[in-house]
Parts: sequence; C-alpha cells; structure tokens
Amino acid sequence: MKDATPTLLLSMSAPPYWHCGRTVFKRSIDQLIALLPAAAMAVVNWGLPALRVMCLAMAVCVAVEAICCWAMDRKSTIDDFTAVVAGLLYAFMLPAGAPWWIVVIGAVSAMLFGKMLFGGHGNNPLCTPLIGWAVLFISFPVHMDPNIVQTATSFIDPLARLKYFGVAEANAIPVLDLLLGHQINALGAGQVGALLLGGIYLLVRGQIRWQIVIGVLIGAGFPFAYLQMTDPAANASAVFHMCSGSILLCAFFMATEPCTAPAVSAGMLCYGLTCGLMMFVIRHFGSYSDGAPFAVLVTSLLSPYFDMIRPKPFGVK
Amino acid sequence: MKEHFTMLTDPRFCLSNGVTQRFGMGPMPKTVRLNREGFAVDAAVKKKTLVYPYMHLATHPAPGKGDLFSPIYGTVTDITERSVFVDAVEPDEELKKLGESVEKIDLLAREERGEDLVPVLKGLGVNTKSLGQKCETLIVNCLNPDPGVTWAEPMLLSHTKTFALGMEMLRRLSPAKRIVLAIPSNMKFRHRDVDIARVPYHYPASVNALVIKSVTGREKPEGVGIVGIHNVWSLGRVALTGYPLVETVITIGSLIHSGNYIVRDGSTIGELIDFANIELQPGDTVVRGGPLRGESLDKMDRSITKGASGLFIVESGTIPPMEGHSPCVACGSCSAICPARLRPDMLSRYAEFGLHDRCYDEYITSCLECGLCGYVCIARRPVLQYIRLAKEKLGLKLLKTAGVYAERVKQGE
Repeated sequence: MKDATPTLLLSMSAPPYWHCGRTVFKRSIDQLIALLPAAAMAVVNWGLPALRVMCLAMAVCVAVEAICCWAMDRKSTIDDFTAVVAGLLYAFMLPAGAPWWIVVIGAVSAMLFGKMLFGGHGNNPLCTPLIGWAVLFISFPVHMDPNIVQTATSFIDPLARLKYFGVAEANAIPVLDLLLGHQINALGAGQVGALLLGGIYLLVRGQIRWQIVIGVLIGAGFPFAYLQMTDPAANASAVFHMCSGSILLCAFFMATEPCTAPAVSAGMLCYGLTCGLMMFVIRHFGSYSDGAPFAVLVTSLLSPYFDMIRPKPFGVK
Repeated sequence: MKEHFTMLTDPRFCLSNGVTQRFGMGPMPKTVRLNREGFAVDAAVKKKTLVYPYMHLATHPAPGKGDLFSPIYGTVTDITERSVFVDAVEPDEELKKLGESVEKIDLLAREERGEDLVPVLKGLGVNTKSLGQKCETLIVNCLNPDPGVTWAEPMLLSHTKTFALGMEMLRRLSPAKRIVLAIPSNMKFRHRDVDIARVPYHYPASVNALVIKSVTGREKPEGVGIVGIHNVWSLGRVALTGYPLVETVITIGSLIHSGNYIVRDGSTIGELIDFANIELQPGDTVVRGGPLRGESLDKMDRSITKGASGLFIVESGTIPPMEGHSPCVACGSCSAICPARLRPDMLSRYAEFGLHDRCYDEYITSCLECGLCGYVCIARRPVLQYIRLAKEKLGLKLLKTAGVYAERVKQGE
C-alpha cells in the first residue's frame, strides 16, 4: 500500500474539486488582450505620447496597489494584474498629450479612492478608472480637454463639431474615420473600431455580461435614433453618437465591471438601460459634450437597487 | 436557454455518457474500515474476534438504517467511536464452516409488504429510509449523481436482472401509489409497467430537487419522494444474492482513467487506487464522493462505505489551487450559474464573517448544494463549504430525499 511511503502528501481542499479554470489573473489577461487593439491604434494615431501616458498610468497604478498592500500589511495583490487593467483603462480616458503629473495624480486617486480604500479588487462601489478620470475632469478641466491639449493634429473633435458647427457638419464626418480613431478624443476612447473588436472578444469569452452591454447600447442608441428619425436636420445619427465620446469604451469596459453592476440578469438589463439612458440625457440635455463616464458613475450608485430585482429562489412561493 | 449563456461548456458535465460496461468486482480487501457511527456493536464482537463474511457486527437504532456486516474473513483489530477495523485472515476450517453456514434469504418468496418489510431489509443491511419514504409518487433518480460518476447507466441497461429485482422489491416496500423512473432524455430504455419520465441530463440536472422539478414541473411539490438508483440497485443486489449487503458500487476515476467496480464495504482507498492502477503523485487530491460535492481525504487508509458514489483522483496542477484567504471579487459568476437562483456570493460572505442569521434573508434554505458556485468561482473561494458551514451553524440539516428543510430555528429556543 502506498501510504507506507511517507513522501506522498495528498492535498486537501474544499469541494468542488473540478474547476472551470477561470481565475482573476486569467480574467485580467483576457481584458488586456481585449484592450490591446485599442492601445495599438492609440499609438498609431497619436504616436509615442500615447504610449507614454499608458505606460505611466499602468506603472503608477501597480505601484500604488503594491504600496497600499504593504501599508495595510496584506499580501500583495499586484500579481492578479487587475491594477494593470485599471491603469490602462484609466489611461484610455486621458488625452495623449496629458502632462505627466496629471497622469500620476489621476492614477493615484483612482487606485486609492476607487479601489484600495474599499479593500481592493471587487469591493469598489464605483469603477476604478472612472474615479481617477472624474477627479481630473473636475480639478483640471483644461488639461483634460483634448481640444486644448491636442493642438498639433489634423483630426477634428466630432462632439465639438456637433456642438459648435451644427448637425450638418457633424454628419459630414465619415464613419470610417471615427471607427479608425481619426478624431480628437481621449487617447483610447477614440479608438472606436478597436474597442468594438475588444468588447466583442470579451463577450465571446463570457468575461462581460451581454445584458449590460446590450442594455447600454439600446438605452443610449434608441433615443438618439428616435430623435434623428423625427427630426434629421436637428439631430446627429445614433451611429455618430456611438462612435464619438466614450460611449463604447464605457459600454464594454466600464459599465461591465462586475462589482459595480448588479448580479442578476433582469437587474443587469435594467442597469444597462438606465446607464445608456443617462448617457443620452447628459449628452443631449446636459452641458457636457460626452457624458458617458458620468452616466456610468451615477448608475453604479444605483446598483444595490437593481440588485433587488431578482427572481424568486428555488421553491420559494 | 440558461445553459447557453452560462459557462458550463465542460463536456464532463454531460451525465449520459453511453457507458454500459458491466461492473467489475473490486479487490478483496486486506483491511477494512467500517463506519459504525451511531451503531451499537454486538456484544460478541470485540477486539481480536474472528469474523466471516456476512457476519452481523452492529445494529443501528434507527429502523431505516441497515445493520453492519463483515465483508471478509478476518480479525477485528480495533473498535473506535467511528470505525470497526478488520484485518483479513486466511480462514481455518472452523471459520470457513461458520462462513458457509450463513443462511441465504429468498426475499422474493417472503410475504411481507410495506412497513413489515423494513425490519427484514434492515437485517440485510439495506437502508430503507428513502426507499420506503411516505409519499404519493416516488421518483427513482436514474441519473448519475455527479459528473464523472458513470454507474447509473450500466445499472439500468446492463445489470437488468438486479435492477428488475430492485424495482420489484421497491414496489413491495414503497407506500407510493406511483413509481416513476427519471431517466436521461437521450436514453433508449423501456421497462415493463413502470412510468418513465425523461429528464435533462446535464449537471446539475441530477440534483434531486431538480429531478423532481423536471418530472412534476413544480418546485418542491407535496407528496413526491425521490430515491437514487443506487439504493434500488442495492435492494436488487440483496434480492439477487440473498445475502446481507456488504458491497457498494463506485466509480473510480482520474484524469485518464474511469471504471465502475463493486467494492466491499469498508475497502480502503489505498487498495482501491492500487487496484485501479492509478499512480498517485504528491499534491494530488483524493476525493470520496463526486468531484463536485464530495470530500477530500488525507490518508490512504480512509475507506469507502455504503452510499459513497465514487473515488476520484484530481491531479495536482489540473485546477487552479485554492489559496487560504481569497475575498470575493464580486464577479457574479456564481449568481449567474446557480440553479436555485440564489446569491452564493452574499451567502458565502455572510458565512465568512459569521453573520449566519443573515443567510436566511438570502434564502439559504433553497440551496441545493450542487457545488457549481465553487466550480465557476474565479477567486477560488470555497463557496459550497461556506454555505455548508452556515447551514451547520444554523442547525439546518438537508433532508436529502425531499430537498426540504426543517422549520427555521428561532434564536433562544
């Protein structure tokens, strides 16, 4: 009998003993793969400054997480790569020409107030990258405005064009230009085609919930499409709106962050629809030309209420 | 619809694998370790007592729990609170005579029906609690209970004689007006004058409460009982051999190996693993029961007792390891997969922080303990273990056959 050999140690654990193989680390890697096309397009369109911002943001995020874990006397969690994902997503919301100190301030506040103060990955009530973005957007609006930072470019800002030059000018922008990221926008949020690709990859891999994505796209797209149908002269098309600002980035990568979203199908769909509707409301009636990040932040706060929409458990009458 | 959007793409979760090979006999054990928890050991059985196959060793006070018998010729080496240990010996003439003098009982020729049959079967080592439960409709769950387990199909399709005898005895024993066989919907099977219900065959469809739902269309209906095919087969085995039950059927499986064996009650896992020619490596996990709901064992002298569905070896490195403290990352996978539509994330967090009472608000009593929450958990949390902990602390005992709990225990009572 083999137990006579003292070297054989069996490992004990709790059921189940089979596992689907997914881990937090693999999820992060999937997210990075999904973000890769957009990152590459950002470098193609904006050159090395974009790469600089992305690298700096990721490095600072990882460093902040490591320091926080050390200060809290906890095992370091940087090896699950969630900080890298958060850093890259945060960088996607910045203009390519953002000065280094702004990147650092935003990244530190994102990781501190958007993640570590709540206990780390999965406990944050709001989307980590958006916290950093919101701090900067409120505090340094000038440095965060791509139109001001990005002067040496032939691209145009579709949303500014819509706001100041009217619908006809905005509709004249070819959709292909928007898809390829030939627009003045945050460095990653503008790479619309690449983000779409990455988002579909995440959907196929089952890493993000289709209910949320569909909800956001319908919630934001339907009102814009309806307005355009009723009055084409006064309203830009839904496709234009989807491809400008950061609606797609928010729909696929921000709103779907599972810890800030509800957990049950019906709730997720309502959450997505509300989020999309908020995007429409802020963009159409508000003073901000984009509005998508604020919509996600506000809707995330409603998540606990959407979580109350849930089916009756098994056998409960 | 739900299956397509959840993450159960694992082919091992199909519970109907087309296995029809008849069971082989397991090894004749050199040592056995019989579970005697709750049993009163016979006065004649002491340390160093010589025992022979089918010799009566212990009685359980519950009428529905079968007595304990020796599966081999041997000497009792130790009797503890939990176990009776027997070492095999070569029988001498006297012992052999005793062994051969055990009377064969022809169950089919007996007159008893219904409750009168219970003590007879108890005396043959058969548990009748679920077989003889009071209900209008009794469902026989003919699905493999856990993924990886493959003995249900051969029991139906290949060991037809044993199964038919089991059904005959079940009809005599059960007070139910109607007995329904719940079989996988893709199986070609007919049985004379028995109702057949075809049910889905992807795990967790084999969980008792879900089988009841598939058959009746209702969740937790009144007057419906369910019994596993394993029990019916044991009943048939006793009727076939005429001797007390000292065997059980298990699947022995590893990553590359799988086989069904009739093994002696109390066989040690070390001998079984050797018998199945499985090389264990350090760091492997040995699981008694199914891979999703079973328990891991620490030593090779643990044993297989009646009711265990299998013995599985999970090679180290085939699944991400479970590391001590891993907080919930709120990914929502468990809520998406839960067949009882619960929030296992909340349940496990409440249990983790000792807030067991709050588990009632998350409907812990609806949990079916299928183990899928842990299977999909990307943080590798022992979710099922947390839920079981909370149930234990709350004093909830799953009435396995019906899937219904006792009344809520009020604080201070």
